[in-house]
Amino acid sequence: MGDLLGNLALGFGTVLQVVPVELPGLGPVPLPMNVVLCFIGCLVGTLIGVLPGVGPVATIAMLLPITFKFDPTGALIMLAGIYYGAQYGGSTTAILVNIPGEATSVVTTLDGHQMARQGRAGVALGIAAIGSFVAGCVATVMIAALGAPLTRLALVFGPAEYFSLMVMGLVFAVVLARGSILKAVAMILLGVLLSTVGADLETGQERMTFGLPFLSDGIDFPVLAMGLFGIAEILRNLDHTEARDVVRQAIGRLLPGRDDLRQSGLPILRGTAIGAVLGILPGNGAVLGPFASYTLEKRLARDPSRFGSGAIEGVAGPESANNAGAQTSFIPLLTLGIPPNAVMALMVGAMTIHGIVPGPQVMTKNAGLFWGMIASMWVGNVMLLIINLPLIGLWVRLLKVPYRLMFPAILLLCCVGIYSINSLPTDILFIGLFGAVGYVLIRLDFEPAPLLLGFVLGKLMEENLRRALIISRGEMSTFIDRPISAGLLLVAVVLLVVALLPSIRRSRDEVFVE
Amino acid sequence: MGGLILVGLAALALYLTADLSQGTLRSMGPGMVPRALAVGLGLCGLALVGAGLVRPGHPLERFSLRGPVVILLAIAAFALTIRPFALGGITTPGLGLLGAGPLTVLIGGYATAEARLRELLALGFGLTAFAMLLFGDLLNLPIPMFPEAYAALFPTGWSQDGRLRATAGLLGGAALALLLVGPRRPVAQPDVAGGA
Repeated sequence: MGDLLGNLALGFGTVLQVVPVELPGLGPVPLPMNVVLCFIGCLVGTLIGVLPGVGPVATIAMLLPITFKFDPTGALIMLAGIYYGAQYGGSTTAILVNIPGEATSVVTTLDGHQMARQGRAGVALGIAAIGSFVAGCVATVMIAALGAPLTRLALVFGPAEYFSLMVMGLVFAVVLARGSILKAVAMILLGVLLSTVGADLETGQERMTFGLPFLSDGIDFPVLAMGLFGIAEILRNLDHTEARDVVRQAIGRLLPGRDDLRQSGLPILRGTAIGAVLGILPGNGAVLGPFASYTLEKRLARDPSRFGSGAIEGVAGPESANNAGAQTSFIPLLTLGIPPNAVMALMVGAMTIHGIVPGPQVMTKNAGLFWGMIASMWVGNVMLLIINLPLIGLWVRLLKVPYRLMFPAILLLCCVGIYSINSLPTDILFIGLFGAVGYVLIRLDFEPAPLLLGFVLGKLMEENLRRALIISRGEMSTFIDRPISAGLLLVAVVLLVVALLPSIRRSRDEVFVE
Repeated sequence: MGGLILVGLAALALYLTADLSQGTLRSMGPGMVPRALAVGLGLCGLALVGAGLVRPGHPLERFSLRGPVVILLAIAAFALTIRPFALGGITTPGLGLLGAGPLTVLIGGYATAEARLRELLALGFGLTAFAMLLFGDLLNLPIPMFPEAYAALFPTGWSQDGRLRATAGLLGGAALALLLVGPRRPVAQPDVAGGA
């Protein structure tokens, strides 16, 4: 406990650190740079969360070059702010426009928008903010508490355990993907296959590069991510002109009344718990949090028929779950060095740019960074609460910017952003190529998210598989003989079987349809 | 349809890895993992093709090629003009961000039928000015900003930053002028459809 407090103190010390910054015309001015970066991150995150069609993956890929300028702690604080800020902003769009700004706020459209129709938009936004804040606080403490023990656990992990853990993560991703399980498996295999492009880890032989020199280092993750999530998303949105149903009614007062608070207190806590636990799972469990929370609240409610016509619990629970999940998904990255989703994979990119190898050693070697980032999440949550409620009017006006003006802007920023990472025009051509591929995949009902996750984990998986087999002298049984590894694989198998059972399948489909 | 693509990709991967050594489980060669993945992918593809034959899927929705083609053209235009790019003997002119930015926005904007020339020009100039200040001035990222010939237009005393800021100012001014001057059309907002 004393440890925990000491560590948090170190974290807050790092965040609140005041450094002299050279401002043009003013000379050096002492500024709490990390707080400023956290603020920028939260603001940008909320902005892209509010705007449908721009996600955190594409934005962080776009902004990676910007982080060259800052020290690693500040850079990661800003990127993290973008991620959880986006979760936060996504709900604003869901409530006001009935379009999920982010994938995780799909459920919020159900009751949130109904509340807005009834003139209670303000209360819905307010409770979403309060729920997110509570969830953020709990999740921050949880990361701080679990960080140290999980890091110790990571030290007993060998290559076999790492491999099995990642297999489990990918199985999770399959189970959580929408639509056909077979298609999700295919996407993961394709992702892992793409990650093997480039020079072989041990022999240095070129694999599947067509003899092209820029492929010998493999496909760049930001390029793939921006293509699949930036460009493909534009192409998809261009297909159907969306009708934006911006709420015309007054937003009303923001602070929920006493009744509202009493009704949503327990859902917030339950949502936080569900979201936090699911968020830790590798394989982007955070996406499932809001769905699980909504289903639970509906089951528990005395009068389930209220759900879908403006029940405040249907906003409070899922909103808390999505924020808690967004934050706890940092745990696998910070402790094990395994990115559980595409955003975290970009964080890995940002860390590597600054020469930090993600994994259990980060906590000891870069203690300031580790705890600073955790503390910044709490600071960020306070900021989100303070900056967002007054800014709602601004977000509403932004939502009225037509898409025909938004997509050329996204397009240009994608091009400039990706070019500034490596200064390679071929990278730009590749985001176009991957964008087209992603678009075709979406049209054929394949989800690009599992592909990206497979790509993210692919290199690590191959490396650990080969290492494990060298250690075991080619015995495949090493994965079953070692208890932790066997346990992880068992979980993976059970999950897959359960997901394939007809009855569960049906209810899984229902969850996603709801 | 999707299944066939997967089978095709798997076949391509198998072909490309054909000359890599397989190795043994004890010491894997570079070819083993990709080949195993390609086989798995191919099997998934076959299964999907099989499933498609057994029960007819829903037909593909109609979609226009305009969006993808125009967007890809815009991306290619940016890639080819940001700096000189040699392609089989032909070298494209390096226009820097000054040329590539507005060009990309202008071409890309026509991906939708609602495009309006004046609006896109203003957007293109404005965004380019913003990108110049953010990426070039504030962050000092190595992006070519304007062609050599353009830089030479300034009197010799000007610093790189000064030229950059002046250019951004000009672009911003042009964007504003385009917005303010010119015939005012009634502003239609098809995106903000009234509540259903």
